[in-house]
Amino acid sequence: MIEVKNLVKKYGDHTAVDHLNFTVEKGQILGFLGPNGAGKSTTMNMLTGYISMTEGSVTINGFDIYEEPEEAKKSIGYLPELPPVYPDMTVREYLKFVMDIKKVPRSVRAAMLEDIMARTQIAGVADRLIRHLSKGFKQRVGLAQAIAGYPEVIILDEPTVGLDPMQIIEIRDLIKELAQKHTVIISSHILSEISEVCDTVMIINKGKLVVMDSVENLPKHLEHSMSLKLLVKGEESRIRAALAPVGQVEKISVERSEQEGLLSVSIGTKNKTDVREEVFYALAAAKCPIFEMTANSMSLEDIFLEMTKDEQGNAFGASAAEKEDGGKEKENEDAAGEEE
Amino acid sequence: MLAIYKKEMRTYFTSIVGYLFLGFFLALIGLYFYAQNLYSASPNFGYALGGVMMFFILLVPMVTMRIMAEENKQKTDQLLYTSPLSVTKIILGKYFSILSMFGIVMLITCIYPPILSKYGAVNYKMSYACILAFFLMGAAYMAIGLFISSVTESQAFAAIMTFVVVILSVFATQIAELLPTTARTAWLLFSVLLLGIAWLTYVLMHNITVSIAFAVLAEIALFALYRVKPDALEGSLLNVFGWFSISDRFVNFAYGEFDVAAIVYYISYCVLFVFLTIQAIKKKRWS
Repeated sequence: MIEVKNLVKKYGDHTAVDHLNFTVEKGQILGFLGPNGAGKSTTMNMLTGYISMTEGSVTINGFDIYEEPEEAKKSIGYLPELPPVYPDMTVREYLKFVMDIKKVPRSVRAAMLEDIMARTQIAGVADRLIRHLSKGFKQRVGLAQAIAGYPEVIILDEPTVGLDPMQIIEIRDLIKELAQKHTVIISSHILSEISEVCDTVMIINKGKLVVMDSVENLPKHLEHSMSLKLLVKGEESRIRAALAPVGQVEKISVERSEQEGLLSVSIGTKNKTDVREEVFYALAAAKCPIFEMTANSMSLEDIFLEMTKDEQGNAFGASAAEKEDGGKEKENEDAAGEEE
Repeated sequence: MLAIYKKEMRTYFTSIVGYLFLGFFLALIGLYFYAQNLYSASPNFGYALGGVMMFFILLVPMVTMRIMAEENKQKTDQLLYTSPLSVTKIILGKYFSILSMFGIVMLITCIYPPILSKYGAVNYKMSYACILAFFLMGAAYMAIGLFISSVTESQAFAAIMTFVVVILSVFATQIAELLPTTARTAWLLFSVLLLGIAWLTYVLMHNITVSIAFAVLAEIALFALYRVKPDALEGSLLNVFGWFSISDRFVNFAYGEFDVAAIVYYISYCVLFVFLTIQAIKKKRWS
């Protein structure tokens, strides 16, 4: 459906997008994840033919976006970072204009207009000037514009920005619904959003592809993908000695726990091997009884931070901040969920 | 193309600018018709239009400043350029909407010669030739306005630049007459002109090296000409300014001559600047 080969975008000496390669199949929802300035919007602008690529090619539905832009663009609906709306039009006028430039057959326009307004829940504001709408409503009008004409590929750049938690949930449901018939690419720096909606995640950083895989498979790409947390009775030296021979254990850290006489031990393993059995027998043999044992797979947020680290091992300031955002987002959602 | 055209026409008529343009323009033509034809008892409608001509410096920016700059600013250009419409169709749709606004004024203006015939003999052929020439002249200025609006995000910048360019063009020969005819002045002014052209090449190609190389080479050639053969530059200002003077060519029509060369000249101006607009946008996106 979408085929991207060797995509490069240079602004002078600065490389915004650096040799991206990926394909998206029909019906897939691809999540595009990366810290601010990673090249997400630049890539999306190239996919939709808004800006050119320095090198490489983008093929949409079999049509090259550079060679046959008009054909390729027929199957794209795009919501850019800022919804491209005309403030002095009413919602209805605007959507009619969009259907007009997308060459939607006249006979289906009326029905399509009602349908897309119902889906994005903007029928109530249909006859109001876009200038008077709130940011959330403008965003929805932008979304309605993207799905007008029911294009096969829908590309959404941070679709939930500016929406309240209830609206975010609605938009997510809408995106999931769209994915049944369309191919969807959404970008976000909010992790929970991507993990909820997408089946494939692509993480980019500094214009480079870091990893692309399904949500479930992402942890496989990490060095320390699994960690154990234990509550053990015994002395630190004995515990360390007992655990040392267990293969695949990479790092052990021991701390005092809140409970008297118990130590809290965390173990990081290589290659996602499950060492719970070995750990149990090793500590049993050393007569250090285990009071509690929990296995943690890394959360998507940890993966994101880990993968967008630079060479020195420092996570980006930006990505750290985004982690917080993501957390807040989740809280908001929970709160919204409780209200329901 | 029709979709863009309809949208632009609606924008003109849902905002004050469209009405202001029509009202102001018609009022001016009416005023000059009264002063030049009725009051002076002259049957030549070309004189009235000749008087209105200099108001292009206000009327052209008024109708063109918004046309692309606003799209660039509101980021609605993203909607247009990612839709299945080619840049050519988008720009033509917009240009035709500008021409339609102007065309409405010109259509209404067509009733003046019959009014005039109530008071004496009117040369209809000559009057309508003047209206046609006036329309084409305006269309040429508006193509320049369209081009300027498409290279900026700011309506104010587009308006001021268009104002300056139109004023320079309308008064090109008058300005040239005021200037000394020495080779030195010519050299200085041509150098400024070269800088302008170099800027234009930058807008079109987004390649600073090429633009600077062009400016430097052309300046060297110009300087060489100035040193080696200053006679060639002497008095050349008037000629060169004459090439760019869109309004000078209208005078022939007002005096009753149907100047085919001028018609071709106007149409070439329109085509050239619409073409440059399309190229500048393509370059901006494909560079």
